[in-house]
Amino acid sequence: MDNGMEGMLDTYLFETNSLLDRLDEMLVADEKIGDFSLDDVNEIFRIMHTIKGSSAMMEFGSLAEIAHHIEDLFFYIRDKGIDSLDSQHKKELFNLMFRSEDFLRGQVEKVEAGEALDTDLDSFSSDINNFLKKISGASTEEPAQKETPQDTAAPAPSASTDNLPDDKEAVCFLHVFLEEGIGMENLRAYMIINAVKECGIDFRYYPENMESNSETSATIIEEGFFMAFESEDDANKAAGVLRTQGHIRSYELAAMPEAEPEAPAAPAPSATAPAPAESAAPQKPASKPAAKSAAPQKPAQSAPVKQNLISVNLMKLDSLQNIVGEIVITESMVTSSPELNQLSRDAYDNFMKSARQLRKLTDDLQDIAMSLRMVPISGVFQKMSRIVRDMKQKLNKDVRLTLIGEDTEVDKTIVDNIQDPIMHMVRNAMDHGIEDNVHDRLSAGKNAQGEIILSATHTSSEVVITIADDGKGMNPDKLLAKAREKGILTKPESEYSKKEALGLIMLPGFSTNQEVTEFSGRGVGMDVVKKNVEAVGGVVSLNSDEGKGTTFTMKIPLTMAIVDGMKVTVGKSIFTIPIANIRQSFKIMPDDIIRDENSNEMIERMGSFYPIVRLHQFYNIATEVVNLEEGILLWVENSDRSFCLFVDELIGEQQVVVKPFPAFLNFFELKNFGCSGCTILGDGNISIILDIQSLYSAALENSQ
Amino acid sequence: MSEQLNSQDLQEISDTDSEEFSTVERCLTFESGDLILYISTKYVIEIINNHTITTLPLMPPYIQGIINLRGQILPVVDIQQLMGKTESDCSGNTCIIVLDIDSVSLGIIVDSVRQVIDIDLKNVRPIPLKRQQKLLNGMVTMEDGSVFMSIDCQALSVPQ
Repeated sequence: MDNGMEGMLDTYLFETNSLLDRLDEMLVADEKIGDFSLDDVNEIFRIMHTIKGSSAMMEFGSLAEIAHHIEDLFFYIRDKGIDSLDSQHKKELFNLMFRSEDFLRGQVEKVEAGEALDTDLDSFSSDINNFLKKISGASTEEPAQKETPQDTAAPAPSASTDNLPDDKEAVCFLHVFLEEGIGMENLRAYMIINAVKECGIDFRYYPENMESNSETSATIIEEGFFMAFESEDDANKAAGVLRTQGHIRSYELAAMPEAEPEAPAAPAPSATAPAPAESAAPQKPASKPAAKSAAPQKPAQSAPVKQNLISVNLMKLDSLQNIVGEIVITESMVTSSPELNQLSRDAYDNFMKSARQLRKLTDDLQDIAMSLRMVPISGVFQKMSRIVRDMKQKLNKDVRLTLIGEDTEVDKTIVDNIQDPIMHMVRNAMDHGIEDNVHDRLSAGKNAQGEIILSATHTSSEVVITIADDGKGMNPDKLLAKAREKGILTKPESEYSKKEALGLIMLPGFSTNQEVTEFSGRGVGMDVVKKNVEAVGGVVSLNSDEGKGTTFTMKIPLTMAIVDGMKVTVGKSIFTIPIANIRQSFKIMPDDIIRDENSNEMIERMGSFYPIVRLHQFYNIATEVVNLEEGILLWVENSDRSFCLFVDELIGEQQVVVKPFPAFLNFFELKNFGCSGCTILGDGNISIILDIQSLYSAALENSQ
Repeated sequence: MSEQLNSQDLQEISDTDSEEFSTVERCLTFESGDLILYISTKYVIEIINNHTITTLPLMPPYIQGIINLRGQILPVVDIQQLMGKTESDCSGNTCIIVLDIDSVSLGIIVDSVRQVIDIDLKNVRPIPLKRQQKLLNGMVTMEDGSVFMSIDCQALSVPQ
């Protein structure tokens, strides 16, 4: 299809998905209370109405049909009041609604993937109808009737001229009939009219308010619609345009009876339905007006609250952020330029005054640009409610999910990256965490209902997400035994601390569940979770007390684009080390160094020994500072890896914008050798950003 | 619909047209070591000199490092070393030609840039010793008898 159609499809998908999200949210919330509120019934009705409307417009039949059935159902419920349902019915209604939602989502996914939609909807739609029948008893006649498109004999195309609209100036009319059962007749008619108008033909149309008044649909179905022309030429031209339009069953040229008596004889080829070839691509000519008419159709029934949101392509935000980053750097380049020293004192003061002002503005700009990418985490959390709900039924466990801090805002990329890890951990908690048997819980003195707490909080630079269950917890000995079985232990069992034993579950190839269930134990285990979280610069840790429950904690930096870094020099190179990784920097005396049998250097810090990595040696950089006492040591740490880096000199702290290495260099896998990216410094030079984690692996783990 | 088809037809016609008639290509010639090389101007973005190259650790020697070109980070390749010769001495007329080869951006260090000329691709001959060539994929004799070599852009854009 052409671009107009693509854009429309995007809008459609966005809109439908957000409506389904909203629906999901409501259903989960309502199910907790066990009842629909009046507002929600109205809202669901509106959502279904909108989905039906836009799906019919896009010609996604299955979506439109199911949405239509649900709309009917809720029409009834709205009419009779939700209280007319007994609790059993309500329960069924919830299940039905969740199924419908899944179905609609499935269909939308197919639309996204460009697959064909289901056509066999009978069983599902009859489920909905049966339910409607059940709750309404015998009185289903009215809504049931609405479902089938009017099968009554179509009005004869040779409609008499006496119902022509009252238009004195018109010389002749085109009387157009649409195909049956296409839905949204008024808007389709309007699209056709627009298509004709775009050809520069001047005319009026009846019913006049068809684009805004959906009630005209009925009239258009029964009596067709009229276009009134002031000259026959125009009418003939328009007839030509009509031949290219889809969904027209037939049209007829009719003259104004008194004005042009000879008109009936005029060439009015009562053109029969458009050729199949034309109807094969019916949307194409209509797409442009459709984009316009999609909008008016929605406000007609949607919530009265005005939305102050727009959706923006993420790419645009990315480039905005990049440019802002550049501005910040350029600004500091300008204000620190050495030529400024040649200014006179007054001029320099004035310059600095403006520079400070500029600084403030760029800082604000940067803050705003960053905040644009921030989205509340509630979207992810809501999905978990749904998962818990589904698993609760399947596993027959009574669990409640408590959400804390849903409003916490996180960078969009991070949200996308942590959704799967969170889902995995929630499933784990449901499946393995919470006891299978209620009696186990009761005898352990716990509440019969299990609880999973999902919480998100902010610190100044991190988001902390915890997933805690009050289930049976983990036994470190069992974990160790399992790990021994799998052969992934790296040292004698007795040397493992509790923390290390628990950490075993994050190793690849470790899954405590013997059987694969529907929800977990499929081989993608905690190691994938760890990987995903680390991909966004975060860390996962866990704590578990046997019999009391397990808590997973994810700490993720707020954004990956800007890092607080410490600049250090090694020879002529400048490296940036994330401040978050630095524990201490210090000078040492030659006596402080301890050497092992391979004369690897170590140093004692706060009671523990840490290996020293000489950056100039590892990276093979020529430098004059080779004696440990001349340079400086940085004690760095990332999750459980801790060591000391030897560099020439510290230059200072700076916020830097992280840039990836050019794609050309991906081949060399710099990321595996401690370089995570680069950044442009105030003077235009490039500094390499070190990744402590991979530096450790490359320099210390793989070197032996 | 019919309009679309027409325009598509036209597109195809013009495509074949260009293939038939444009064997002459604008090329930038430059010197590297004792060779005179050329590269189609469609790959050339700009020529810069006096750029500070930041070296990267643990790289093969022909990757000289990265440069900051107005905020864009570009890798810089020393084609002399890539061809197995000694390092180019970064002095005098040495400059960096910035290329964009199928949206892979990189800079190459050359000794000096000569000029832009039209080369008829029909006159380009393959290099006899094919297996020994890492980077060159053709040669052409000019009217004055000098021989220019063609750089294989595809080979250049994929690190080995």
